[in-house]
Amino acid sequence: MTMRASRLKRVIGAVTAAATVAFVAACGSGDSGDTASDGSVTLEFAQWWGAELPAGEFDKIVSDFTAQNPTIKIKLLSAPYDATKQQLVTGAASKTLPDVVGLDGAWVNDFAKQGAITDLSKLMTDANYDSGQLASQVQVDGKTYMIPVVNFVYPLFVNKDLLAKAGVAKVPTTRTEFLDAAKKISASGGDVKGWALPLDTAVPNGVQNDVMSWLWASGGSMLQDGKPNLQSAPVKSTVEYVKSLNDAGVIAPGSLTMKEQDKVEKFTNGQVGMMIDSLAHINLIKKNKPGLKFEVAALPAEDTYTGKRGIPYASWGIGISNSTKHKAEAFKFVSYLLGQETNAKLSTIANGFPGNKNAKPDFSGSDPMFKTAFDIYQQGYPANEFVGLAKSEDLMRSFDEQLQLVLTGKSSVDDALAKAQESWSSVID
Amino acid sequence: MATTVKTRRTLAKAGVITGLVLGGLFAGLPVLWMLSTSFKGNGDVFQNPPRLITKTFSFDAYREILGSSTQLRFFLNSYIVAFSVTILTLLVALMAGFAFSRFTFPFQKTVNAVIVSVQAVPPITLVIPYFGLVVALGLYNTYPGLILTHMVFTLPYAIIMITAYLNTLPRELDESVKVDGGTSWTALWRILVPISVPGLIAVGVYTFMISWNEYLFALTLTRTDDMRTVPIGIQLLMGQHSYEWNQMMAMSILGSIPVLVLFLLFQRRFIGGLTAGAVKA
Amino acid sequence: MTSLMASKAAAPVEQAAPPKKKTLARRLVPYGYLSPTAILIVVLMVVPIVMVISYSFRDNVIVQENPVFAGFANYTKVLTDPDFLIAIKNTAIFISVSMVAHLLLGLAFAMMLNTPLLGGVTKAVFRIVYILPWLFTIAVIAVIWRLLLDPSGVVNYVLHSLGLIQDGVNWLGDPGKALWVVTFINIWSGYPFFMISLLAGLQGIPGDLYEAAAVDGTNWLQRFRHVTLPQLRPVIISMAVLDLIWTSQQFALIWLTTGGGPLHATEMLSTYTYKQAFSEYEFSTASAAAVIVLLLTMVLAFFYVRQQRER
Repeated sequence: MTMRASRLKRVIGAVTAAATVAFVAACGSGDSGDTASDGSVTLEFAQWWGAELPAGEFDKIVSDFTAQNPTIKIKLLSAPYDATKQQLVTGAASKTLPDVVGLDGAWVNDFAKQGAITDLSKLMTDANYDSGQLASQVQVDGKTYMIPVVNFVYPLFVNKDLLAKAGVAKVPTTRTEFLDAAKKISASGGDVKGWALPLDTAVPNGVQNDVMSWLWASGGSMLQDGKPNLQSAPVKSTVEYVKSLNDAGVIAPGSLTMKEQDKVEKFTNGQVGMMIDSLAHINLIKKNKPGLKFEVAALPAEDTYTGKRGIPYASWGIGISNSTKHKAEAFKFVSYLLGQETNAKLSTIANGFPGNKNAKPDFSGSDPMFKTAFDIYQQGYPANEFVGLAKSEDLMRSFDEQLQLVLTGKSSVDDALAKAQESWSSVID
Repeated sequence: MATTVKTRRTLAKAGVITGLVLGGLFAGLPVLWMLSTSFKGNGDVFQNPPRLITKTFSFDAYREILGSSTQLRFFLNSYIVAFSVTILTLLVALMAGFAFSRFTFPFQKTVNAVIVSVQAVPPITLVIPYFGLVVALGLYNTYPGLILTHMVFTLPYAIIMITAYLNTLPRELDESVKVDGGTSWTALWRILVPISVPGLIAVGVYTFMISWNEYLFALTLTRTDDMRTVPIGIQLLMGQHSYEWNQMMAMSILGSIPVLVLFLLFQRRFIGGLTAGAVKA
Repeated sequence: MTSLMASKAAAPVEQAAPPKKKTLARRLVPYGYLSPTAILIVVLMVVPIVMVISYSFRDNVIVQENPVFAGFANYTKVLTDPDFLIAIKNTAIFISVSMVAHLLLGLAFAMMLNTPLLGGVTKAVFRIVYILPWLFTIAVIAVIWRLLLDPSGVVNYVLHSLGLIQDGVNWLGDPGKALWVVTFINIWSGYPFFMISLLAGLQGIPGDLYEAAAVDGTNWLQRFRHVTLPQLRPVIISMAVLDLIWTSQQFALIWLTTGGGPLHATEMLSTYTYKQAFSEYEFSTASAAAVIVLLLTMVLAFFYVRQQRER
């Protein structure tokens, strides 16, 4: 037997081995150990920022770091936001997170609880780092897990031409004025609508950016002592207001499956007159529609509200993997990105506001609208209650589903908020 | 009499052509729009009313993609992965198909059932444990990792098809080899493989398609641009806030060309190969 | 390449061996041929499946260090979740409507492409056009259809210009339409392989069957019913089952067009599982859902295998 069977085996073995060798040789780029023979360390940094910045800009900032610290090399793993998120979730699940990770405030709680990202407070102490220079830190149970590197505020964008055409002289500052302006724009003809509301449930960020923002702008809160408080009067009035916009027919159609990208496209193409959007998009809009006349303003508040207005923001946050062997080096890189000079540079190219208080972004080369936005930002306060919450995407989604029921007339505002409160309470305890 | 037959034929022909054109519109119009979008400026994609050709018509998107070494690398990766998957799937499936077609052995039906039901496993459910496994095997972010993964999904159908194809070939062929003192191995490679070429082409094209367009695992199992494939490259053009419409479309058009060429070259044999399998499959 | 060399190496003439051992060898031979397949499938498919099954019986897997045994708690949770039941219903509609449409379209197109009335070149051109939807990765198919079906997109514009609709139709955003619209998109993207297989089947029907039927003075419909359909039956059944299985795995298309919304109108088993795992971080319930999906698809696979054996 042996002759034949073993020959057969040998042949199969040879085929398999040859194939394997061929592929291993062909790829050759398997992860070699992260400490090289010359003692230098390679850190992997997974983020979506590179994909959002002008090509090559982020690499430049990173290579400056390596020039200053020849023993630390940075390998950028860039992917879009959604893909980064999925890779980080799988990575965290199998304890193979890259050394340094870009984080969204909404992910922090879950990664921290899984033990996937490390306690930065300790690293800051170890490195004698002055945390006083940081504009903000995201904490879970009193420990810092994420530091926002660049913040992006979400002001109101208005299309000046559409406003003028509709006979609205002044950019709305209150909810009543906004509704009125939206009605006039929607009545001005064509397919144009007053406002865009992206409620797609695949990425339910619209709840944060386009719905809760109304609440925060009037100083409201969806939480009380860290517990959900969705049946309060301010939340109710916010949802009722969104419903009134919907009932008035001023929201662009398709909002139940509209994505954030669609919102920006519609504004850029003059199909909606107003939207709440990230300041970072000014350049994008200008690139795609050079002639569009638009400006940014503070979010409208309740008519009687006079206090400071919360302005929603999103961050490019940074964290460090718990499983990395090079925490000190990783923190060195983090503090480099947050250093006064680098942080200013990064904020400038990203069109965001710096995570280092002392960093002064250079608005000289950028659009005057950034200056306006910076003023709005300083007059109000940054507000995003989803940051640091557990399963925040899930919270947004369950709120989103209830809101969709309200907008399709399948549920009353009270019932919807009661249901949302119930499902949030089961998550946040 | 002759005229009625002739008119009837003409009528039937007109009917078939009408049907074909209507079906062609159904199949082709979205692709036409894709093509048209690839030539537009991003600002004109949502232009209202829509136009097939806009003022911003240009080849910029194609130039951009063909001029970027990262994007070209995606194409190279896709070729490496898809061709390797195709060749290896054919090799492995031929051996398995040969076993099913030419031998009877205990547990044959069970093994066959397992292989068939493997394709019933929804990939999305496997992502998390699979990821851990691939990392543990040291195959994360490598070609072999991706190639072997794709093979798991292409093999079952390939085995089914090849078994069916081999079943159509008379057993006397390989018996004759054995009479001459050859082994079953010789029979497979010397006799059956050469006459199975049409069937192999059909399975090969199918396998290539699956691997070329696979998205979920190509995303999960790679993390650097030098390992990513075309579908992921297309996904990379969808930013968090905006799409590079024209480049996305240009890249899909470019990505579809190799498959189209494969089909053009092999369509006769592709369909012929499926025929043999189909009759008995 | 390797195979050629390998076969040469293996070519040398059969060695004479003691008869007893030879039978043992002969018995092992088929397993030898199966071994590469077996290794791959066991390592890369059976192992992860077993892992998923083990997750499904524990609580807090992955997110905590020491998950505890939870019995069938995760299964109870999943099976009593109304969203999951909706997902089952939607998936059933989605896959069965898609499959029937794939079959009907595929058959109609294949028969037109197989017509003797047209020349080879014309048919070849149409064949190319007809397989176009097959050539694109699913992410692009989702995006192009979103673009076409946007409330102010091309489809509405054309329908409006033709006077077929008054206002812009909200294709994907209307809970009453979304499921049918994603099914339509899936029909578009999935029929070509069905069509090609049927075309192959048609070309395998011996011409003399038709000639015999024609001599009997039958009309087209009778020939279709009594020759074409029975001859195609095996292909139709195989492809139908495979199509159901393949379509049930469709995740990216739904995720990128509607994300399962609006109001769960397009929630499928795949999107449900994904949300459980990647957004609620409930890997235990996600695994339980996955196992249920696996069992459901195994039923399909069972019918498939049985159907295969019958022939």
